[in-house]
Amino acid sequence: MIQLNKNYSLPDALADTVPVKVVSVGGAGLNALDRIVLDGLEKASVVAINTDVQSLTSSVAAHKVQLGRTRTRGLGTGGDPELGYEAAVESADEIREALTDTRMVFVCAGLGGGTGSGAAPYVAHLAREAGALVIAFVTLPFTFEGKRRATQAREALGRLNEIAHSVICFENDRMGDLVAPQAGIHHAFAMADTTISQSVRSVVNLIQRPGLIRIGFDDLLAALRVRHSRCLFGFGESDSDNRAHDALTQALKNPLMDRGRMLADATNVLVQVSGGAGMTLSEVEVLMQELGRHVNEQTQILFGAVVDGKLGDRLAVTIISSLAADEDLISESRDGATLSNVFAQPPVREQHPPPQIHIEPEAAMEPVAHEESISFEQPVAAQATPAAESLPGESEPLPVTPRKKAVPHTDEKAAAKSVPAKQEILQFEPVTRGRFEKSEPTIVEGEDLDVPTYLRKNIKVK
Amino acid sequence: MASNKLMVGLEIGTSKICVVVGEGRPDGTIKILGVGQAPSRGVRKGEIVDFETAMKCVHEAVVDAEQKSDVMIRSVYVAVAGSHLQSFNNRGCVMLPEDRDEIDERDVEDVKINAREVSIPAQNAFLHSIIQHYHVEGQDGVLNPIGMLGQKVEADFHIIHGVRTRIQNSIRCVKELPLDVEDVVFGGLASAQVVLTQHQKDLGALVIDIGGGTTDYVLYSDGVVKQSGCLALGGDHITNDISMGLRIPMARAEKLKIEEGSCILGNSLPGEMILLKDESGFAGKEIEREMLNTIIHLRVREGLELLKRGLDEEPYLTYLGAGIFITGGCSLLNGIDHLAEEIFEIPAHLAHAQTTWGVTSAVEDPQFSTAIGLVRFAQVMQTDRPRRGFRETIGKLFRMR
Repeated sequence: MIQLNKNYSLPDALADTVPVKVVSVGGAGLNALDRIVLDGLEKASVVAINTDVQSLTSSVAAHKVQLGRTRTRGLGTGGDPELGYEAAVESADEIREALTDTRMVFVCAGLGGGTGSGAAPYVAHLAREAGALVIAFVTLPFTFEGKRRATQAREALGRLNEIAHSVICFENDRMGDLVAPQAGIHHAFAMADTTISQSVRSVVNLIQRPGLIRIGFDDLLAALRVRHSRCLFGFGESDSDNRAHDALTQALKNPLMDRGRMLADATNVLVQVSGGAGMTLSEVEVLMQELGRHVNEQTQILFGAVVDGKLGDRLAVTIISSLAADEDLISESRDGATLSNVFAQPPVREQHPPPQIHIEPEAAMEPVAHEESISFEQPVAAQATPAAESLPGESEPLPVTPRKKAVPHTDEKAAAKSVPAKQEILQFEPVTRGRFEKSEPTIVEGEDLDVPTYLRKNIKVK
Repeated sequence: MASNKLMVGLEIGTSKICVVVGEGRPDGTIKILGVGQAPSRGVRKGEIVDFETAMKCVHEAVVDAEQKSDVMIRSVYVAVAGSHLQSFNNRGCVMLPEDRDEIDERDVEDVKINAREVSIPAQNAFLHSIIQHYHVEGQDGVLNPIGMLGQKVEADFHIIHGVRTRIQNSIRCVKELPLDVEDVVFGGLASAQVVLTQHQKDLGALVIDIGGGTTDYVLYSDGVVKQSGCLALGGDHITNDISMGLRIPMARAEKLKIEEGSCILGNSLPGEMILLKDESGFAGKEIEREMLNTIIHLRVREGLELLKRGLDEEPYLTYLGAGIFITGGCSLLNGIDHLAEEIFEIPAHLAHAQTTWGVTSAVEDPQFSTAIGLVRFAQVMQTDRPRRGFRETIGKLFRMR
């Protein structure tokens, strides 16, 4: 057994760090950024971008950019992505300034709202213009936040997919699986932030940390290369006697990884193993062998190993992968899984793994049946937490009905009230210009104005 | 006697054709002798798409006007619209010969020609070139340079041009009737002549003429036209949206829009319904009022916002002292002035033809703004130049390249 020695091959630490910036856009992004900063991130600078001055003020980020000084006057966008976009365009120069001198930009945003959906693609665009590599970390809204937000989120995701070099997308719905049924709703939102935080930091570490076997940005891109794919996420670490096995099991048990089953179809899997000075080769061997059982023979495994004294007795695994979306209902989502470790601060590390570890027994027992209907119902009704305020109108239907049904429920009510049901059937025609069908189209700013406005704006009139 | 001559304005609109017969008074006002109108068919978005049908409708309207006003119509001024119309500002410059330093008419003509020597697409023709200001030897804001001393005369022009063949379609349609065409005028410009007073033009004003198929706009600042244009977007679009959104026939949608429509949201009671009575071929139906208003609101808002974005490219919008004047058939839509006020953040007024008298019902109807404006335009033209035949007009279209 070869003992990996810390002095063995550690290159000069900061000599070749890449200038990295983590940029958050919108309220959800800001929360995630705060999480990231609080969890500790030494090798990258952070920039907070938002329309809402209040949330910017309370953010811990050092560098802040307010969008749309005249457009929104320091208020939020009220969930209107167009407004978010306009605000971003107005403040383009400030954003550009914030993005100078950086080789890599991580854009964090919660899609579905106004600023996140509207401004994030534009920020990504500016970052690309500045010559940086752009990776977007985004969350899709909970189903119960409504179809409108889901649609806005998907549109924004589509745009980001085209602009950013890579998009890592987390579905908040899946995040729910990480939270214990009895936990408050704020835990669910906090978990979303934590997940982004973990993945951002693990990717930053992946690139910045001098490794024994180094993983570069090219490897990362290779792992995420599949376009329009879905992204899984999980992480695990352990300091038990059998820590290699435990860390991996924990990671694969993460609901976002679907217990490793998703890995079977992946073409590229990026794995980084990191541990303290006591990490042995055999441990790594065990871990990789076990992982090998979950992946296809043709799968290319991009392997990296890192020794970091700060980890002490712990061993951590980061896995990133992507999967072409075929079985998924959402057209443009991705699955990559990051199984990561919190390297920086011991206290933090102790905070995050516990929820995950605790859940596993529960999650393991009933995840299949309850995967979508999750654990939120009681907490939402029972405790009005600050986080709950950001969910529009979910308070009523939630207590009894599973979340998925909450949205249709209200729809049905409205429909029953005003519309004879038979009329609904006619809705299928996708784009139509009515009496202007045969006339010269009026196309202004890329939009066919002959198509009814409410259709183009996706506003349901029935 | 030029000022007492009969002048006829003809607007071939998307929803209807208006003919206004007017008489210029020596005091500069116009007396409307009669108006004729006919529902328009074969016109889409301000342009003729079915020549034969459109011609019949024009004929109908002209006959109607002849009966109402008891005159024979021989020649008309025709309004044109359509998305092909474009405009820009340009400056021309002429240097006087060394041995002369008093500016005379020739120089002014030269500078006008010079200002037009800009490249517009090959198939386009100049429709209007409207003088804004002259500059003499660097002195700005000269209104009439004739008689002034200087070596260098410059002139700012607002130039409106459009696709020649499309403009000729309107002319041909009238010519076939047969009527003489005195001149062709951009509809928005015609409306502005009667909707605004000279004082309002000086203060700065934006005229938005929202018709059935097009939205024409003209922006005045310092008494001269600074911006103008035509969006192929109008009341027809609102009707079409309603028809599709509520799934009712076009005719019902049009009626619903006129009788019940509003572009202000939140004014109806929750769940307030409008009952559409059944009639032959149409089963009765209940429509939610807020739904109807939402459809209208979205469309009108989009149109106005589009307009604002276009106008925002130049800074004049901030200097409108008199505000916005909305005219045309769509200005009858409930609440459109409030919506415009909200979007432009400038006071908006509903407007109809001013400084005219005669048939009151016509004068006060914003749908006739353009046609009355044509009469006004004719009056101005005729005091400027005694007479200009159709031949010249057509000649202008070719020559002005």
